[in-house]
Amino acid sequence: MRFINSKKSKPEDLKPSEIVQQVLSTNLQENLDKLKFLVQGCSDVVIKDFKFGHNPTVRGIIVYFDGLVDKSIIELNLLKPLMLEMDMSNQQIDFKERDIIATLQEKILSIAELKTLDNLQELCHHISSGDTVLLVDGYALGLVASTRSWQGRPIQTPENEVVIFGPKEGFCETLRFNTALLRRRIKSTNFKIESMVIGRITKTDVVLCYIDQLAPPELIKEVKARLEKIDIDGVLDTSYLIEFIADDRNTMFTQAMHTEKPDRVCGNLLEGRLCIMVDGSPMALILPISFPQYWTSSEDYSVHYVPASLFRILRFMAFWVALLLPSIYVAIITYHHEMIPTPLLLTIAATRQGVPFPAFIEALVMDVTFELLREAGLRLPRAVGPAVSIVGALIIGDAAVKAGLVSTPMVVIIAFTGIASFVSPSYNAAIIIRIARFGFLIIAGVLGFLGIMVGLVLMITRMASLSSFGLPYLSPLAPFNLKQITDVLVRRPWFNDQERPYLEGMQNQVRQGDNHEK
Amino acid sequence: MFKISNFQIYCMLIILVAPLAYLDTPKRISTCLFNNAWLAAFGAIIPGLLMAAMFLYIINKSTSPFPLLLEEHLGLVIGKILGFIYVFFFLLITIYSLRLFTDFILSNVLPGTPISVFIGVLLLVGFYAIKTGLENIARVSELFILIGLPFSFLITLLALGEHHNIESLLPFADMSYGSFGLGLAYASFALGKLMPILTLAFFSNNRKGLGLTVYQVVFTYALLIGLTTLATTLTLEGLPTSYSTFPTFSMVRALRFGQWVQNIDIIFIGIWILGVFATVTIAWFMACFTAQQVLKLRDYRFLAAPSTLIIGISSLVLSRNILEVQIMGDIIIPIIYSIFLILIPMVIFIITLFKPYPEDHNISKPVSTTV
Repeated sequence: MRFINSKKSKPEDLKPSEIVQQVLSTNLQENLDKLKFLVQGCSDVVIKDFKFGHNPTVRGIIVYFDGLVDKSIIELNLLKPLMLEMDMSNQQIDFKERDIIATLQEKILSIAELKTLDNLQELCHHISSGDTVLLVDGYALGLVASTRSWQGRPIQTPENEVVIFGPKEGFCETLRFNTALLRRRIKSTNFKIESMVIGRITKTDVVLCYIDQLAPPELIKEVKARLEKIDIDGVLDTSYLIEFIADDRNTMFTQAMHTEKPDRVCGNLLEGRLCIMVDGSPMALILPISFPQYWTSSEDYSVHYVPASLFRILRFMAFWVALLLPSIYVAIITYHHEMIPTPLLLTIAATRQGVPFPAFIEALVMDVTFELLREAGLRLPRAVGPAVSIVGALIIGDAAVKAGLVSTPMVVIIAFTGIASFVSPSYNAAIIIRIARFGFLIIAGVLGFLGIMVGLVLMITRMASLSSFGLPYLSPLAPFNLKQITDVLVRRPWFNDQERPYLEGMQNQVRQGDNHEK
Repeated sequence: MFKISNFQIYCMLIILVAPLAYLDTPKRISTCLFNNAWLAAFGAIIPGLLMAAMFLYIINKSTSPFPLLLEEHLGLVIGKILGFIYVFFFLLITIYSLRLFTDFILSNVLPGTPISVFIGVLLLVGFYAIKTGLENIARVSELFILIGLPFSFLITLLALGEHHNIESLLPFADMSYGSFGLGLAYASFALGKLMPILTLAFFSNNRKGLGLTVYQVVFTYALLIGLTTLATTLTLEGLPTSYSTFPTFSMVRALRFGQWVQNIDIIFIGIWILGVFATVTIAWFMACFTAQQVLKLRDYRFLAAPSTLIIGISSLVLSRNILEVQIMGDIIIPIIYSIFLILIPMVIFIITLFKPYPEDHNISKPVSTTV
């Protein structure tokens, strides 16, 4: 650095990566040259050169990116005091004063969030984040004014986690709005939102949320350490992070839960879990998580515990149907038809007469077709997507049956499986089922029921070997915990929910007082 | 050091003793006791409790887990040699269990499929389980017991409810003491497989409650095998039960309920696969773990790969057909099991009778902490 300064190198002689490492100079023109060099090609940058109102010999600049700032704040709270009000006021401000920046901060500028910086790297980071930076000639310090404001998607109902009862707000892409949604629900100073920046180029703001004195300190430490280790050029979504910080990276069983619902995040924070959010993503990551939790919905806690429990049982049943129904059908039709009562067997045999494919191929083709239609429905424009998928399913299904390519029971089986796979409240869990279903289908086609069981053994063994940040992935089923299982398979009544789910190192297990008495 | 809960130990022990016995034991008892077989099955509680008490006593008098306790009580040389032999014994349990089950599948479910396919598939999943460690085996055992045990009882109770021919259980008088003793031995020698408790106890997070756990295993086993023997005798009668290769399977196949559900034997086999897989895996784990302890290796998991080859090839060449497996199961296996699972522990038990209880701080941990 010293070498560079002594040589008085021109900015164009250096690489941007070298310039950005430099500290600010007292010479405004020099700073300006370097800055212009760094932002060359950025047509959205605004550099406003001005002279201070009461002392036109002193130059200053403000710099920001258009579109990321609230211009009215800049005009009213930054430029107006500096260019007009300083002149009109009777304050005698000596620009030779060493702490002029502090004076501006304390007396002149009426912006709530102001801080100083002394290097170009910080400067670039702040202007890229929507702040405005003020540089004054003769000072090697800059002033950062928080002027962030941009057009974004407002808070809306989440599309992937629709509920009938309960809060309907969903996260949006602006991190600060998202943290505000959480803060509004947890009005406690124990609710901590720790911030960090990840991404060498994107400099993405990432926050780690938890409730102090509830979340296990070791867990917080571990998650922070894993986040800090991430070295990547850019983070554009929370999903990027989980692949870096998961206990086991090479598995499709995701070890953190994605959600768009602030109430769901708050519910989990109150159970001592942690939440990670990324600027630019409407998805929050909840961790640690166990697989049975994927089948719980935030809505369960908004309806009476009896129907909530029944819905939960229904969802678990749907899980098995979505996972195994086609493979069981193929196994029975191909290898174990003695299990089917004779009248039903005759009906199935009659519908299968003339079908040229074995049941396995038939199921595979139908399942792939169903997945194709589903994908097409998602990717097509919203106005035509559902129509195409419904019409496609009806026409293709009907035509395939009429052409004798597939049997009617197979259409029923695949349709029923498809419906069951939509029951999962978590999209990630639904993806796991969809992928695993093909595996089961193939192994059932080869080894029948025996194959299905071998597949199940493999899947269970794999899942049991996983953990989500130390929490066994299949808990409370394995390791078995009778007390907690009552709040997974069914929904425990609120008045009976005395304790939080067990988490290693949790500091306060008691959730409520004695509410048994009316 | 990693700890496992007593419920996990309960599940692992049940899985060791019950699944093969569920298929095999009713037939063996029936061959000597016919209609009275169920008496011996329930009577297995007494020798079972005695064996459990013996194992617990050895644990309380030992400072090291099996196989190190062999060296502790029998001396370094004999202990080492015996420990080494036990590695092969556990491999034999694995090989025999695997072969018996695959032969059963081959003869009853998918006759056209080569046996090597079944052995290969089961070895693959077992290998994966061993590689993931004892902690995972314990969790998987829990899940399999939660699924399998209620289902087994359900099947048995359904069979009992369907066949009310009480006369099949009579007469008591046609029973000699000798045949009852033999039946009792057949019914209870599977409980010798409780022996791995000598290792598992040292991983328990609550050793004080271990006694209750082991006794619960004995009661569960006796209840399950007793009810199954009752159900097979009621369904097939005493003499046909003794002639049938797998009477439990025949009982399940004969089951019909709701005028609609029939031939559910394949579901039963499916659930049963879980149990047999776990039996094979736990015995295999014991072989690897014993080898690691005897040879003072850092980890046992890398032994899973070479032992896969040994188990795979040995189970293929063990016999030419299911009849040979049956004969082995009638004569050779009970003798070998009795020696390694009952007689040698009994010798250790007698030696420990003359030893004082160890102090708590002397109780060591297994060599490996990577379980």
